[in-house]
Formats: sequence, C-alpha cells, structure tokens
Amino acid sequence: MNKRRPNPKQVTDPNEPLWRSTLRVAMPLNLSYIPIGLACGILLHAAGFNTLLTGLVSIMVFSGGAQFLIATMLTINSPLLSIVLMLFFLELRYALLSSSLSPYLKGQPNHFLFIFAVSLNDENYAINYLKFATDKKWTGKEALMVEHYSLLFWAVSNVVGSLIGSTLKIDLGIVNFALTALFLYMIVMQIKNRLTVVICLISGVLAAVCMMLTKSTLGLVISTIIASLIGFYLETTLRKHLPDSHWLWKLRGPGAKKSAVENTDE
Amino acid sequence: MSAVNTWNSTQHFWLIILGFCVAFVPRFLPLMLFTKRAIPEWFNEWMKFVPVSLFTALVVKDVFIDSASYALILNHFSEMLAAVVVVIIAYRTRSMALSVITGLVAVFLLSMFIA
Repeated sequence: MNKRRPNPKQVTDPNEPLWRSTLRVAMPLNLSYIPIGLACGILLHAAGFNTLLTGLVSIMVFSGGAQFLIATMLTINSPLLSIVLMLFFLELRYALLSSSLSPYLKGQPNHFLFIFAVSLNDENYAINYLKFATDKKWTGKEALMVEHYSLLFWAVSNVVGSLIGSTLKIDLGIVNFALTALFLYMIVMQIKNRLTVVICLISGVLAAVCMMLTKSTLGLVISTIIASLIGFYLETTLRKHLPDSHWLWKLRGPGAKKSAVENTDE
Repeated sequence: MSAVNTWNSTQHFWLIILGFCVAFVPRFLPLMLFTKRAIPEWFNEWMKFVPVSLFTALVVKDVFIDSASYALILNHFSEMLAAVVVVIIAYRTRSMALSVITGLVAVFLLSMFIA
C-alpha cells in the first residue's frame, strides 16, 4: 500500500481507517437514500406490507425502482405472476451493470461475487464504477463496503418510513428527483469526449421511444444496449479511420480533476 | 391512504422471495461468467458506453416518461429546468452531494412556481 502515491482526491489523511474513507465516498448516496427510502417505506406500508416485510424486501430486493413498482402494483391488485414478470424486466438491466463491473472484479472468489451481486444496485454501481475507473486503489473490498453502507441506510429508511407510514404525506415526484440528480451527476462525470455527448443524446431519444413502445422498463434495457453498441461502433470506426477527429477530443470541466478525466486511454 | 390490497403476509413473503430471485440472477450471472474467463477487448470497449447510456435512459424515464402509462410527458418543466441546473452544478463543482442537494432545492422551488 505504501508504495502507491496517495490519490490527489483523498489528501485529507492517509492514515484514515478504511471504514471511514469508504463511508465518506458512500455518504452522498446514503443521504439521498434517506428521503427516498422513507417514501418507499411509506408506500409499501400503504400497499399493505408490514414493517418486518418492508425491512426484508429492502434488503433482499434492494432496488428503489423495484420496490416502488411492487407498492404500485399491489395497490392496483395485480396478480403475483405479473408483478414478478415486471420485476424481472425491471431488474434485467442489472445484467448490464454487473457485466460492466466484471473487469474490475476479476479473480474474486465465488462467495464474494455472490455477496457483491446481492447488494448491487443502480446507485452504488454508479459510485463504484466511477471509483474503479478513476482510483487505482479501489478494489472489490471497498466497493462492497460502499454497497453495504448504502444497503444499511436504505433498509433503515424503509423501516422508519413503514413505521411512520400512515402519519406522513410527501411529494414523491420531488423526492425521486434526488435519484434523477444523482444520475445526471454520473452522466456529467462520464462525459469524456464529444462522442459521449452524442451517445447521451442518442440514448435519451432511444430510451423514450423504446419505453413508449414496450410500455415497460424493458425499453431501458433495449435502448441501453443499442446506444452503447452505437457508441462502441462509432468510437472504433473513428479511432481507426480518423484518429484526430475532433469528436474524440477530451472535454474538461473547469473544476475537473485530472484523475477523473484521464482514464480513458490505457 | 388506506390499505387497498387484500394480500396477507405469507403472500407478501413469497413475493419477496420471487422478487429476490429475479433481482439476483441478472446481477450475479454476468459477474460469475465474466470475472472467470478472459474478457475480449471489444467487450470492454463496448461496456465503457453502458453506464452513460443507462444513466441517460434512467434520467429520460424519470423526467419524460409517465411511470404508470409509459406515455411521453413534456410538461414537467420544473424537473427539466432543475435537471439543467444539476448538470451545470455537476460540471462546475464535480461534487455529488452538492449536485443532489441543489437539484432537490431547485425542483422544490420550481414546482412551487410552475405547477
């Protein structure tokens, strides 16, 4: 460990214990989980879930989208099979997430992968992907700790939400925007060159069209696959034929940190 | 809101177990497969574009797609404006916490003025 230079992002204290440095990385997510978790607990309570089962579902399914879906579908009395099928389509996107994390988790034992997969979700994936891509010292162990911190905050918020259930009313649209903002931040952090901006636009249009056509979040999966393939194809073609193309120029924000941007070409 | 659903706790429990299965398999299988064997270069190059495509799709779902009917909605002006604010803040500060908090404040304030 001592051979490596400290990451410029974490100059605060090189002797900081691991649980604290990973908690610091996970904290923005943890905090944004509190209102959403509360909202989700309240909704599940309204859908008839008792507190114990609300805790269980938030640990075992651990997906805001899936739990909101469960609550919504229960309130409209959908049959079990159709809820599970909807969940399946909703959760299919995790195949993409775990595929894209797999290069960073090579050589980990099976039981680690099992535990890692259980507590993987959109938001902690976003954080871990960013850390894996920008911080060479980030390993599966740290990533798992981030997952578990977010799981803890999520489950506790859900249970508290379930307990205060009947007494509180909140505007879900506003609370849910915390996640939207988190994803927007992640997009901005992912933008490395002009081509990425183009892919964003393509993906956005495709997502809207695919979701309108499939009438489900399966559209998310389809549009993500198509848009990422287009990006892959365009980049490969550009690199081969027009290596100096301005579409491949790096973009850099005024507050950009070197390490966050320059990780593409190795 | 009162409980309108007639399911009992046992049924909820089975829903959770089945939900766990459909949530777990797509998360686990690719990890299992792709961490064991050598990953082809093109696969890595392709996967580089997955996060940005997925996050954009999720944002579009949150802002432009109705969660019940999956119809296109173009009148969520407060969310749209707040999204622009978040992008600017994220670009300038590179701070996740600041982006999320500004976003929440922005959407809250905007939704008071724009119905």
